[in-house]
Amino acid sequence: MNSVKVFAAKELLDLRRNRVVWILAACLSIAVLVSVVVASLAYRTQVTDYRAYVDALAASGSAVVPAAPQLYPLTLLRGAIEYLEIIGALFAVVVGYATIAREKSRGTMLLILTRAGGAKVFIAGKLVGLGVFWALLSIGLILVSALSLALVGSAGLGASAWGRLGIAAVAAWLYLMFWTALAAGVTAFLKRPSTALVLMLGVWLLVVLVIPQIGDTMDPDNQVPGGLFAALAIQKSDEVAVLAHFSTYESIRNALEASSIEKLYERITFAFLGIKDKYNQQPAALIWPAMQRYTWTVLVLVAGSFAFALTAATRTRLQR
Amino acid sequence: MTMLSTVARQELLASRRNRAPQFLIVMFIAMVAVSAMIGWLTNTTVSDVYRQVLAEGYTDQPNPFDSIAQLYYAHNTVIYVVLIGSLMAIALGVQSALRDRKASTADLVLTRPIRVKTLLAGRLLGIAVLLAAVVALGMVITWATISVINGGPLGVSPTVRLVAFGGLTWVFLCGFAVSGVLAGVYIKRETTALLVPFVAWAVVVFVLPQLGTAARPVSLLNPVALPPQTTGIFHWLSYVTSPLSIGENFKTASSGVLDAPLSAFPWASAAVVSVFMIIAVVVVVLFTPAAKLRGGAYE
Repeated sequence: MNSVKVFAAKELLDLRRNRVVWILAACLSIAVLVSVVVASLAYRTQVTDYRAYVDALAASGSAVVPAAPQLYPLTLLRGAIEYLEIIGALFAVVVGYATIAREKSRGTMLLILTRAGGAKVFIAGKLVGLGVFWALLSIGLILVSALSLALVGSAGLGASAWGRLGIAAVAAWLYLMFWTALAAGVTAFLKRPSTALVLMLGVWLLVVLVIPQIGDTMDPDNQVPGGLFAALAIQKSDEVAVLAHFSTYESIRNALEASSIEKLYERITFAFLGIKDKYNQQPAALIWPAMQRYTWTVLVLVAGSFAFALTAATRTRLQR
Repeated sequence: MTMLSTVARQELLASRRNRAPQFLIVMFIAMVAVSAMIGWLTNTTVSDVYRQVLAEGYTDQPNPFDSIAQLYYAHNTVIYVVLIGSLMAIALGVQSALRDRKASTADLVLTRPIRVKTLLAGRLLGIAVLLAAVVALGMVITWATISVINGGPLGVSPTVRLVAFGGLTWVFLCGFAVSGVLAGVYIKRETTALLVPFVAWAVVVFVLPQLGTAARPVSLLNPVALPPQTTGIFHWLSYVTSPLSIGENFKTASSGVLDAPLSAFPWASAAVVSVFMIIAVVVVVLFTPAAKLRGGAYE
């Protein structure tokens, strides 16, 4: 246990000294900040347009007052969560790959493997260190988001909102750890680190960008700008009745999306932050039953990536 | 000229032997191959949904998919070029620039009577030929798939449009491949050399368009470019970010090539994609000192 702590502490020290890691963390924070600022400014533009419209109506003598646009501060985080899904996962892959590749290229791997505990303690310590790193970064990113909401969106956050942000931080941590552990495992498994990096980039492309894109493409409602059912002026209840005739197609589409950990992370986070309309302003206790299945799947996938990394990192493979 | 073609041939041979980027090439070809099928499957389902809606009396609107263009099914390919193709090209470029330094043969190669400009131009030529072959294969598969879906071979006009789309794709991919070479030449560590153009790609494809359109990052995965905002601060930001959003310009130009009449072709977007490639080539070939090609490379 003590050896694991030593490796974890060394990993954190290496990460702290690594300029690339700081640049990655800065890029991710800037992307998150940009998305919150963009969402806040877009909301302000909406409000300005609304006021101009109301003034124009009043000037024309109309007594009609249209409904004002609603602001739910946490929904402004949609872009930030999407950046974490896409760019965060890419950075997690690079950090996971680098943690093994670094020791191989420096020639320190053989020395490390002479220590008691060997390969298993080494990889366990690395994963613990990376776990602490991503936990700190997830908390930092959520704080950056909250600060942006307060400063740019002029939004005050209550206790419930902070609780939901906490859930979002835990979900982000699990998601990023999945990618880091998988990348570390693949880099340990393969002889050439550069092959592992390109392979992991391919997996990232497939899981994060391609599969969700296919799922979106297959959604009938996404085929017409503004939505097919809106274009045909069909009510939501009628839409559900019609789609019931295409349940097999919808099941395949949903299964395809649910096979990507990115979509599972998105569904959980969007639900608890109220970004998904269906769950907006709903108490967490009501959201949890719907998200339980996705949460368990994410936990199994994360546990699987850890198990893979621990199994892949054998003395023989790491020595190559 | 002989030296140029020798370097280009060597580049092709080395790329054929390097399995890592080949994985991305296979993935790109596979996605191009299935994209038309996905489009057809979706379109068939949407038409079935419309017929069901009509049968149940919920609408009297015309079917929005009654008169789709023959090349409608090629639209999904556009997004796979932006997502997979550009990253594949970057990986090819980085590996090409680092290959000699990783094998410690860079100094040996530079003892031969060859100018640095010729060496780099030859490498870029080799990559360009490889990308042309990959794109050509992708377009042949797309042509065949759409012909099968349409129940007959595509006519001359859509075939010419598909060839033009292939040309545009090649220019776009060459730009990213040369960016990869640039990173490989100037950065000693392989991880950083791959990472820097990847981060630049993420900025170009996601962050810059978001600043000009106020769109969400995921909505930028749509094969059709989003229009810039026409009011407020985003309107002004779009003036700065639009020319730099290479991915969105490629999407706009691709839509024009596949669908629009010649009079409405977005020449400006096509020019942005071409200028991006030309600037990258000029920077690499004309301004790279020999010293940057020497020395080792690290993981």
